Amino acid sequence: MIDFWEVVNRSDNGEMLAEGEFDRRVGRVAREVTKKYDIKYNPEVVIPSDDSLPDRLFDAAVEFFLEVGVYCTDTGRVMKFDKKELFDALEAGVNQIVWGEGRDQRVQRNRKVEDSRPPFCNFTLVGTPYSEETFLQAAMSAAKEPLADCFSAGSLLHTLGGIEVRSGSPIEVEAAIWDLGKRREAARRVGHPGKGMYTMVSAAEKADAMIAAARPEFGALARDGVLCGAIAEMKVDYDRMKKVPFLRRTTYTIGGLYGPLMGGYAGGPEGTSMVLVAHHFLGRLVFETEYSCCFPIEIHETCNTTRRMLWLVSTAHQALARNTHLLHFANTFIAAGPCTEMACYELIAHGITAAVSGSDLSPAAVARNRHPERCTGMEGRICAEAAHSATRMGLSRKDANDLVKKILPKYEDKISEAPVGKTISECYDMERVEPNQEYLDLYERIKKEVSSMGLVYPSMDRV
Amino acid sequence: MSELLEELGREVQIGEVNRVKELISRAIDQGLTAMDILEKSLRPAMEEVGRKFETLEIYLPEMLQAADAMTAGVEILRPYLASGGGEQRKGRIILGTVQGDVHKIGKDIVRIMLEGAGFEVFDLGHDVSVSTFVEKAEELQPDIVGMSALMTTTMQNIPRVMSALEDSGLRQKMKVIVGGAPVLPEWAEEIGADGYGENAVEAVNISKKLVG
Repeated sequence: MIDFWEVVNRSDNGEMLAEGEFDRRVGRVAREVTKKYDIKYNPEVVIPSDDSLPDRLFDAAVEFFLEVGVYCTDTGRVMKFDKKELFDALEAGVNQIVWGEGRDQRVQRNRKVEDSRPPFCNFTLVGTPYSEETFLQAAMSAAKEPLADCFSAGSLLHTLGGIEVRSGSPIEVEAAIWDLGKRREAARRVGHPGKGMYTMVSAAEKADAMIAAARPEFGALARDGVLCGAIAEMKVDYDRMKKVPFLRRTTYTIGGLYGPLMGGYAGGPEGTSMVLVAHHFLGRLVFETEYSCCFPIEIHETCNTTRRMLWLVSTAHQALARNTHLLHFANTFIAAGPCTEMACYELIAHGITAAVSGSDLSPAAVARNRHPERCTGMEGRICAEAAHSATRMGLSRKDANDLVKKILPKYEDKISEAPVGKTISECYDMERVEPNQEYLDLYERIKKEVSSMGLVYPSMDRV
Repeated sequence: MSELLEELGREVQIGEVNRVKELISRAIDQGLTAMDILEKSLRPAMEEVGRKFETLEIYLPEMLQAADAMTAGVEILRPYLASGGGEQRKGRIILGTVQGDVHKIGKDIVRIMLEGAGFEVFDLGHDVSVSTFVEKAEELQPDIVGMSALMTTTMQNIPRVMSALEDSGLRQKMKVIVGGAPVLPEWAEEIGADGYGENAVEAVNISKKLVG
């Protein structure tokens, strides 16, 4: 596989190009290759079951990646790779990761389309901001969930110890260390001290703060994860690349973070689905990733539960599951907030889609991931239970498509006016860190309804 | 005559740069004023592009192509506009993503739509320091300073820029508008911003209102 320092060399010596021109190139080539490979979004087939579509999507992504390359914003140069380098990097990728320690240890193994094994689930609060007072309980709400194979937490809202948390300032380092410590404390408090962490820190944007925090004495376990984000679309910078020399000398797990915007530089659902696949090539070659967090979102709605986004999620993950042995998480982004009917429908639709498309699952960013305190472990439960149920009943892509198409009308016309829902303090018993009766009753009601549509929840009719 | 302007508008919308240049030359030859071409064809076309983008009938690449066609058209019109007393701008705006933040797509969309609506926009880029905002505000004397942030750890730089503008005696001379994923309207109000846009259309509308 290509050496990291050769990658750095190319970032210094590749083609010089203005960033705006690179953005235009992404759009032009995405349009050309999706047309060439006949990639077409069909609103009637949210979860495609024609194997040739994801295979063509993968081939399109390869052609796109070889032509476009990766842009380094610090040098204004394009790093190009050849086909052999790309496939060597894909082959060298791991097909399993051991997360956590002791009784909490879990093994994530590469999944295939319509896999009989349920998705490996990371319960995450996706950087939702919490105050210092609620951060710990929010993290506990994710860490304690039985289906959470590993977990992640939220972010800090504005201040730590009365000091403004600002990227690039000394307090960012302090916040990153505090963040990691609280996550591990949360895991211990809920009786899962060895539960793996999908990403150690959300409070650090800069590499130096992340690196400063990533130490065992602050709470990191040997195989906890660190995410290296691509800058949408197909770009990296030196600050993100700086993590690599550090990470490859540690035992930490390296994750790629990819959030192409549907409607953005890559165009519509076809181009953006293809670019999401291509981001995995960027991750393997530039960051040496072992897993990925995929959060494509619709540009105006900031979610991935609209009809075309579910198609995008399904096709991209099918392309990866059928053509690589990589580990890739579908990161759920919903429009509605906690403790709302709409949130339940969105979570269930996304969970089913991801489960049958060969991905692992990372629920959930809630209330468009922008409203402080509005995300809990319960949303992860709703999404993961649907995914587990779909897998355990052996749902095919075709049947999953029929089912999701029954759920979509429950919310798709209301996405733009999605309710922000309740804060964690309003829908949880904060002392026990458990969803309150109102939330449990709401979920039970929606579960029964979705069950009547055809999703078989194990044991539901036996209790 | 109006058919020619309609055709020009259609070509702007689909980003046909060469065809736009050709049609503008023809319109000038036929005696249309540069201002009419701009106000009755190019700007309405870009407003339509913005509307189509908001409803996802088109995506950002098509919007960029249309913006390029519009820019090429305005370049041809510029000398004619100058001789007629200059292009009438709605106002001058400086725009940037704040320090520590490398995200720029939202800010880019706002820039394209503001330019289409007739504002003179100076894009300072992303990861723009507090001092750069102040220097540019001093130098360009804009009507509006627009700031965007995508993370809670960078949005704190928005009030810092406002405070620095205050210290430099510039804050009273210009309006401040803010936006970006973690920026909520209540927070915008709390920090004393003059306007908040949840999306690009709102950003344009609030800008028009502020310079009204």
